[in-house]
Amino acid sequence: MESERAVVPHASPPPALGAPEPVRASHPAFVDPLEGAATRVDLAAGGIVVDAVARSFGAVHAVRSMTFHAKPGRVTGLIGPNGAGKTTLLLMLASLLAPDAGAIRIAGADPVREPRAVRRAMGWMPDVLGTWRTLSPRVILTTVGRLHGVPRAAAAARADELLVEARLEELADRPSRVLSRGQQQRLGLARALVHRPSVLLLDEPAAGLDPTSRLELRQRLRAFAAEGGTVLISSHDLSELDELAEDAVFVDRGEVVGGERLVLARQAAREWRIRALDPAALSHELARIGVAFDRVRIEGELAFVALDRDEDAADVLARLVRAGVPIAHFAPAVGDIERTYLELSAAQGGHGRPERGGVR
Amino acid sequence: MTRTIEAAEPTAPPTAPAAARAGGAAGWLGMLGVVVGLELRQRVRSVAWYVLLGVVALVVGGVIVVLWVALQGVQRDLGGAIFATTIFLVMLVTSLVTPALSGSAINGDRDGGTLASTQVTQLSATQLVLGKVLGAWIASLGFLAVCVPFMVGSAMLGGLRLEAVLVAIPLVVLEIGVISAIGVGLSGLIRRPVLSTAVSYLLVAMLSLGTLIGFGVATVASQSEESRPELGWEYDERTGISTCIETDRTYEAVVVRPDRVWWMLAANPYVILADAIPPGFGNDGHPDDVFGQIGLAVRMAQEPPHVESCADYDPRGIWAGDTPREVYQRTVPSWFVGLAIHVALAALATWGAVAAARTPARTLAPGSRIA
Repeated sequence: MESERAVVPHASPPPALGAPEPVRASHPAFVDPLEGAATRVDLAAGGIVVDAVARSFGAVHAVRSMTFHAKPGRVTGLIGPNGAGKTTLLLMLASLLAPDAGAIRIAGADPVREPRAVRRAMGWMPDVLGTWRTLSPRVILTTVGRLHGVPRAAAAARADELLVEARLEELADRPSRVLSRGQQQRLGLARALVHRPSVLLLDEPAAGLDPTSRLELRQRLRAFAAEGGTVLISSHDLSELDELAEDAVFVDRGEVVGGERLVLARQAAREWRIRALDPAALSHELARIGVAFDRVRIEGELAFVALDRDEDAADVLARLVRAGVPIAHFAPAVGDIERTYLELSAAQGGHGRPERGGVR
Repeated sequence: MTRTIEAAEPTAPPTAPAAARAGGAAGWLGMLGVVVGLELRQRVRSVAWYVLLGVVALVVGGVIVVLWVALQGVQRDLGGAIFATTIFLVMLVTSLVTPALSGSAINGDRDGGTLASTQVTQLSATQLVLGKVLGAWIASLGFLAVCVPFMVGSAMLGGLRLEAVLVAIPLVVLEIGVISAIGVGLSGLIRRPVLSTAVSYLLVAMLSLGTLIGFGVATVASQSEESRPELGWEYDERTGISTCIETDRTYEAVVVRPDRVWWMLAANPYVILADAIPPGFGNDGHPDDVFGQIGLAVRMAQEPPHVESCADYDPRGIWAGDTPREVYQRTVPSWFVGLAIHVALAALATWGAVAAARTPARTLAPGSRIA
């Protein structure tokens, strides 16, 4: 026991006498996993390549300098607080807005010089989904298909196919104003997929979706990526992104957050949720193995423990199991993306830092 | 956030649209047709549009019937008069309704978030704007269409000249197109739908009423005092004939000079219509329909002030000056100048809207959103 590493924060009061000796706090390792990758991108690569892109509106610098690469075959999350420049970036990627500086490639095409090639390869689902309210979903999908240059018959067939996928067959010939928000979102995704794009840009696609639709959306996006498609999702639903996104691009104040700030944020403590069949034994054992009391928060049957590293979590779990505590659930309370995001905004002095370490 | 497992390189990228894209002019027009269809589906299939059509038919029909009843005892062949009135009413109604129909075509879509949905397709800005112009044009032609029964009725009354129909109908169609293009164009240039609609109305009002007001004000402003020879009259009681006598007296007269400012009327759509249609002179030597009467008035405005002399009277003392036909023959037609001004305005507005709708956008008006 003596030699084992335990979990003790740096600034916690000394543990009670007789408790196992607390082990040194973990030092953040300043190794940047994205080193090089975040600052240099290959414009010839597939998917979405953004290189030092900037765009300002008068005196407002909406996007200062963003560089990242969303790879084909993967789902990439675009994460940042309101006003970070996400929507401006997506408008530039969607070939609607020209960047002031920098270069963008969508499936190898430059939106400024070859907007048609970009639009052929790209499906876009905006956050404010405008829809022709008097037209039916079938007409909307057929029309958008034809605007993409698909002949009438093929566009109608594709519309039928997408209506089934979006589960909108029953409403296919009603005016789209009768659709609920979630149904509108499904129609919006169908619209983005009309011309079988290889790159999908989604702005808050899960907003207003019921759990079933969310699951379907997740499956469809995964399938899309599995076929080699590139997906970039901007969302505030961080737990949703945690489920879905394999990569994440954090943006803040018009810049991609990278390097040290990101590493620090990722290494910050995260909360783990523990449920035991015997809550009393759990809280007793947590105290006995030397977890500082300000790192533990008990809510009913659940205990939340703030731990700095995954190794610490493994260690705590091993000790609890060894001590015979009947553990039924042991998992991070928040996902990777959510934790990083919250740490980043906390480091800014922003809001949304998870309440942790507080004395009950 | 890259997780450690690297996904396998994609082997089969999603298939590109299997359908071959139609190329060339046919494809370009086909795409334009899709936009026109989209516009018409939204405009023409709305209840409000049918209500408007009904109201227009009722109003025009009511005026025509009242006119017909009132004029029956006065004139024999009412066809020409009824037709001219119908055409003017259609012009009036479309100039009142078309700006409302077209004035928010582009910025309304932008506010509704549907403009960007069309901009991220293969559609070009030119196709987008022209499609909207054509859509608004066709929708407004509905007001001409509901008035066709009255025109057919006027034809059955007799006295309708074929050339009046052949000139008036295409001109009205073209004028409706001009107003539609101005409305759509301004909606692409001005961010707020309310403002662009109001500016469209102002522009139409400037052409229809502003030219008249300008002409009137300028005529009054250009008046001057001139001395004119005074004519004397000698009445012969035996024959009952008055004879004109030149005197050496003069009098000061206030003379207005519409001939210096008449060109302002050239851009008036009603004047264009009246001026373009060859006049039909009735038995009394005067134009027999509203077109001709307005046309003659504009032609007479071109004449410099006439200095009256005894030569204007025949020996029996009856006015023997120029007949309307003579005035018509020595003055210049102006309708093509006015029409050219209208078409140029429409083209300018459309071109501006195309330039503003081009993506990727480099400059944006302050506070505007593009999606």
